[in-house]
Amino acid sequence: MNERNMLLGKIKKYDFTLKELNLYLDTHPNCRRALAMFRKYKELRSDAAEEYTRRFGPITPEQVSDSRRWTWVDDPWPWERR
Amino acid sequence: MKLDLFDDVEDMIFHEREAAMSMPDMDMKNGNGDSMPRFPKNTPLAMAYVPFQQWGETYGDDEALSRGTLFPQLDLPFAKGGGGK
Repeated sequence: MNERNMLLGKIKKYDFTLKELNLYLDTHPNCRRALAMFRKYKELRSDAAEEYTRRFGPITPEQVSDSRRWTWVDDPWPWERR
Repeated sequence: MKLDLFDDVEDMIFHEREAAMSMPDMDMKNGNGDSMPRFPKNTPLAMAYVPFQQWGETYGDDEALSRGTLFPQLDLPFAKGGGGK
């Protein structure tokens, strides 16, 4: 369970940084350094998300990749969370 | 940017007024006599100005999430003591 939370935490962190960079880039569209950082974190985020979904299932519905079952329903529902 | 400016707003306003009134002896400390007052000469009065952010230091992604900003320049906790966890 810890591994799962650790990965989720990483995704959250990367999302936050990406959002901050997004807001900065909105007003500084030509800032090369911000753009480079955005690209770096976009990759970090997609790697982390890819690993998470491979091991623990979809984070968001459109990440369901199983062709036999709608695995979205297998995630713990909010009330089922310990 | 010196954060302690925020500690004493009256002082800051006084300083601004001083700077505006006494152009010549403005901030002689750093030696260049012709140092510009804080705002360009013909800056209209009674307008609010927000200095445009320049790209500067950034927190690491861990710290950014906990500080609530990626940019130390924008990490301005309102609480006097700052950073109430």
